[in-house]
Amino acid sequence: MILVPITYRGGVYRHSEIIDLIEDLGGYIVQKHMIAQEVVIQCFVPKDDVELIRAIGKPLAGEVTDSPLVGTEIAVVSMSLEIHHLPHPSCDIAEYVRRLGAKSNMVGMARGVGKRIAGLNDEERDVINEHDIAVYLLGNFETCIEKKMPLLLRGIEVPVVLCGGPDKDVLQRIVEPRVAGYVGNVGRFMHRTKESEELEKLDEIIAEITRVLEKRREELAKDPLSVSPARLMDVIREQVPAILDVTSPTPLTVQMSGLRVKLPYDTYADVLRKTEIEDGIKIGDIAEIEPSRMRDYIIVRVRPFSETNTVI
Amino acid sequence: MQAIEYFEVECTEKLGGEYYRQIANDVLLDHNLLRVLHKIHIYIDPKVPIFVAVGVLKKVTTLVKVGDVANVNPLEGKITLAISDETWLAPMLKIFWDRFGKDHVDQPDRFTVVLYGVTASAHDIEEIAIADPSKALYKDLVYALRCISPEGFRVRSENYGTEKFSFVASEDTLTDAGMALVREKFALMGETP
Repeated sequence: MILVPITYRGGVYRHSEIIDLIEDLGGYIVQKHMIAQEVVIQCFVPKDDVELIRAIGKPLAGEVTDSPLVGTEIAVVSMSLEIHHLPHPSCDIAEYVRRLGAKSNMVGMARGVGKRIAGLNDEERDVINEHDIAVYLLGNFETCIEKKMPLLLRGIEVPVVLCGGPDKDVLQRIVEPRVAGYVGNVGRFMHRTKESEELEKLDEIIAEITRVLEKRREELAKDPLSVSPARLMDVIREQVPAILDVTSPTPLTVQMSGLRVKLPYDTYADVLRKTEIEDGIKIGDIAEIEPSRMRDYIIVRVRPFSETNTVI
Repeated sequence: MQAIEYFEVECTEKLGGEYYRQIANDVLLDHNLLRVLHKIHIYIDPKVPIFVAVGVLKKVTTLVKVGDVANVNPLEGKITLAISDETWLAPMLKIFWDRFGKDHVDQPDRFTVVLYGVTASAHDIEEIAIADPSKALYKDLVYALRCISPEGFRVRSENYGTEKFSFVASEDTLTDAGMALVREKFALMGETP
C-alpha cells in the first residue's frame, strides 16, 4: 500500500467522519488544526483512496490537495538571529513551508555571518543533521558565499537547498562542495515578501525543496523502511500516554525516515524501545532510539529493510 | 527616494549592489530617516571586505510644540486641547503635570485633554515645546546604518557630526585605506568630510 501525503481543508461540521474515513482506510493523521470554523488535516492516505476522500469530503465543503511536504521536518538555517536576517527572509520562508504541510524549525547560527569569521559548531551541525532537509539562507555577495559555504557544509549529511542573492547559475558555479538544490535571487532583504514576484520566488524554493525530497523518497523506496514513521507515530500515541500531556504543537514530529518524540530521553528511551508494534516486534528491534541535540527530546531513526529483514 | 538629493550605492558586484540599494531604501524608510538625510553614498567591496557609508544631514531644528499636535480652545475658564497627532501625547501630558499639577489636567478621552484653572493663555500653551526629534535622530541613524551594513562587518568606525556622518565597517582591522575611502566618497558628493 503506497501512502501519499495530502491536506484536507474543510468545515468543522462533520469533520470527524473524514477522520474516521482516513483511519478506516489505513491512513495516518499527522496534524490536525482547528482554526475558527475551518479544520485542516495533514495526513498520509492510500494512493488509491484519495479520490474517495475527495468525493466524501465534497458535500462537507472539503477540499483535498496534494502536499508533498507533509511528514517532513525542514531546518531553515539562518546565518544569525539578528535583525539582518530576521524576520525577513528567514521567517517568511519558514512560514511558507509550514503552510504547505512541513514542520519547519529555524536554526540560527552563532557564527554564520561574515566571510572569514563564519563557522559551524558541532551542536548546529548535529541539529541540522536531525532534519530531512536543510534550507540555507545566505546573503547577497557571491564572494562571501563562495568563501564560507565549504565551512558551513562541513559534516552536513542531509540534502541542502541553498538560497542566495546571486543568480542560480552563479550559485551552481561557485558553491563547493555541490549541494542538492539552488535558488538564486533570494538573498538578504529587509521587507516582507508580498509582491507577486517575491511570492513566485517562495514558490520556486518550495518547488526546489519538493524536487530534492522526491529524490530522497525515491532513494528510500529502493530500500524501504521497516515501518512507516506515520504508523510508528500512531503506535506511540496509543501506547505511551505521556505523549498526550505534552503541550508542544507537534509532540510527535514525523520525518521521512524517523520521528522526533518530544519526551525526555532519560525517562522514556527504554519505554519506547520496549513498546510493541505488532506480533512481538518492538520499536527497539527496528529503529534506533537516540537522544536529540534539540532540548532533551528523542530521535527515532527507523532502520531499513536490508538491516532488519522485517517490514511491518 | 525623492526626499534625498543624492542617493548612491556603489558595489563591486553589480547584483549585490542592487540588493543593497533596496536594503538601504527599506531601512531608511522604516526608520523615517528620509526626511533628515540630504545626501548619502554607500560603497561596498566584499572582496576586501569593506563597507563605507557617508552622508550629509538636513538641519533638524524644529522642536515639536503643543500647537503642532493639538488645537487649543480656551472656553469658560478651561482650555480644551483637541489632539490631532497622538505621537507626542505622553511627553506632553508629563510636561502639563509638572507645570500645572495633576489636579489641573484631565484627559476625558483619547483625543481630548482639558486644563482647568490655568493662568497661561492659549498662545502660551501652544508655544510649549514638548519634544526634540533631533535627539532620537542620531540613535536612529546609528541603528539604521548598522542594519544596512553586512552583519559580519563587526569592526566599525563611526563618526556622527551635526551635519555629516561617516560609517566604515569591515571584518578585519580597519586601515587608513578605509578613511581614504571616506574622503573619496565625500568628494563624489561634492562635499568634504
